[in-house]
Amino acid sequence: MLSLRIAARFLRSSPAQSALIMAGIAVGIATQVFVGSLIVSLQAGLVDQTIGSAPQVTISAAEEGDPVTFTEAIRELIAAEPRVEPGAVAAVRDASALYSDGEDSAPLSLKGGELGGLDAIYDLSGRTVAGTPRLGDGDIVLGVDFAEKYGLVPGDAVPLTFAGNRTARPTLTAVVDLGAAAANERQAFVSAGLPRSLTGWRADEFSAIEIQMRDPFSSAEVAAEWRTAIRSVTVTEWQAANADLLTALQSQSASSYMIQAFVLVAVALGIASTLAISAVQKTRQIGILKAMGLSDARAGRIFLWQALLLGSGGTLGGLALGFALIWSFSFVPLDFAIRPEPGFIALSAAVGIGVALGSSIIPTRSTSRLDPIEVIQSG
Amino acid sequence: MAEPTPAAPPLLVADALEKVYGSGDAATHALRGVTFEFAEGEFASIIGQSGSGKSTLLNLLGLLDTPSGGHVRYRGTDTGSLGKPERAALRNSLIGFVFQFHYLLPEFSVFENVAMPALISGALPAEDIRGRAVETLGLLGLEGLEEKNANALSGGQKQRVAIARALMNRPALLLADEPTGNLDTANTDLVYDLFREVSKETGTAFLIVTHDRSVAQRTDRVLEVRDGELVADERNRYLG
Ligand SMILES: Nc1ncnc2c1ncn2[C@@H]1O[C@H](COP(=O)(O)OP(=O)(O)O)[C@@H](O)[C@H]1O
Ligand SMILES: [Mg+2]
Repeated sequence: MLSLRIAARFLRSSPAQSALIMAGIAVGIATQVFVGSLIVSLQAGLVDQTIGSAPQVTISAAEEGDPVTFTEAIRELIAAEPRVEPGAVAAVRDASALYSDGEDSAPLSLKGGELGGLDAIYDLSGRTVAGTPRLGDGDIVLGVDFAEKYGLVPGDAVPLTFAGNRTARPTLTAVVDLGAAAANERQAFVSAGLPRSLTGWRADEFSAIEIQMRDPFSSAEVAAEWRTAIRSVTVTEWQAANADLLTALQSQSASSYMIQAFVLVAVALGIASTLAISAVQKTRQIGILKAMGLSDARAGRIFLWQALLLGSGGTLGGLALGFALIWSFSFVPLDFAIRPEPGFIALSAAVGIGVALGSSIIPTRSTSRLDPIEVIQSG
Repeated sequence: MAEPTPAAPPLLVADALEKVYGSGDAATHALRGVTFEFAEGEFASIIGQSGSGKSTLLNLLGLLDTPSGGHVRYRGTDTGSLGKPERAALRNSLIGFVFQFHYLLPEFSVFENVAMPALISGALPAEDIRGRAVETLGLLGLEGLEEKNANALSGGQKQRVAIARALMNRPALLLADEPTGNLDTANTDLVYDLFREVSKETGTAFLIVTHDRSVAQRTDRVLEVRDGELVADERNRYLG
């Protein structure tokens, strides 16, 4: 531990130099932590906005327009799949309707199903702006833009006309903000019974079975497995339909890796040059220590320890600074929250210390090679 | 200290030492066939003009440099056959150095500087290191300065701290290369008196390089080097 003791003393003997390089490492690591967490959270936010409140896997009939039969086999397949978000399964029947209040009329897309499954997928309760969502027979939930446009409030009757001049007057139970103008203007939720009364489908026949995953990115794998398990249906998933978004996410990640790699290179160069300067500054001391019998290996380790001390000190400071940055951004109004990513932070810390150790290779070598006679003879 | 038995090999043997610096036209033949024996506890000096090869000889004897030819033996062991770590260990345990420059470590206190050879060897427990360092500083009249920074001392004090450091591991041999070259006469006299006293008290052998004949006359044996050759090896008879 003599090498460590000497290393610590050397660092303390030039406090400004040590503090500067630690600050440099700290800024680098803080950038790593912040940029890394920012990108991960930003992407999670984007994905959540895009498909967080929508089905991620949909099972429908092989022929478009035909009903899919919700068989016991399909039910068990879904129930046995641990990657499915518990409860986020909805068998739905779709229908088109025309709203008319005597003067104006407007088209509506009805999605009929059980409140439990629809709520889990579309987050109806979380998005309610008026009323309390219920989807019994004779109930309807409307998008906020549509409700505002026609002055509808919970409790109002909503007169609907269907193909074949059939009509219904469900009662508005809740108004929801679905997060997108198109949905808020057209989408409505009703009981599964209303569309069925129009189509005459059997009780186990639906337009589609909609499902959400715990991890949205598992949808492709799960869909592929289900396609081989049940051949008579069509299984679609969100990633296939959103290739552009995925490409954008990937190139965003790639550019953030680039930034992070360059930051690490800058940190490495900073530590390496500081240690190299320090090794030159301490040549005389190293020479005399060796004349007193300090072995080459222990002399070399002085700079390894210096690197480790600088690296871990700077990394600790950098983690603190990174968390402070993330925390300060919680006061900035953004449509996503930056969450510290533990795995990424551990990686940044390991990389910070690893880079410090790597940068000590040259001074460690030159120090262990130094011959004490060079120092003694030069006076 | 026990007298070495007649059969025991001498502390140090210089056997036909050669040293050539550089090669070809630029080569300097700094030492030529230097041979002598040195017993435990001797108090001797090496004298010669500037450039005669005194420092070269001392560096070879101190295992800081390797000879171009010949052998350095310590208590019968040929150091030429030792690896670098073993030579370093031998320097640490057997030899103390004092140079013209004090070479103290400015980052450390007086105590830490003096203790450094013991910290390097790791043979002494921490409490004993403290005691030994204080005792050694006392030997050189430096008691009370332990916690001062090495930089805060006067030139004469610094050189005495360097001597204390050289004696810390109680070496069998102290090698000094013009140790008073940077000191005034008063401090020079003090240092040589201390050398003599320490030699008596600890049994450490001293080999002191100087170009000052009056200083050499105060040692028991004078080795004279001229142009890289050992030209005289005389015992002083003043002790009668
Ligand atoms: N590292 C070296 N490279 C080349 N020549 C050297 C070196 N060290 C010493 N010399 C030469 O060797 C000779 C002896 O030098 P040195 O041992 O330092 O003498 P002294 O200590 O008696 O003054 C001198 O001619 C000197 O110039
Ligand atoms: Mg000299």
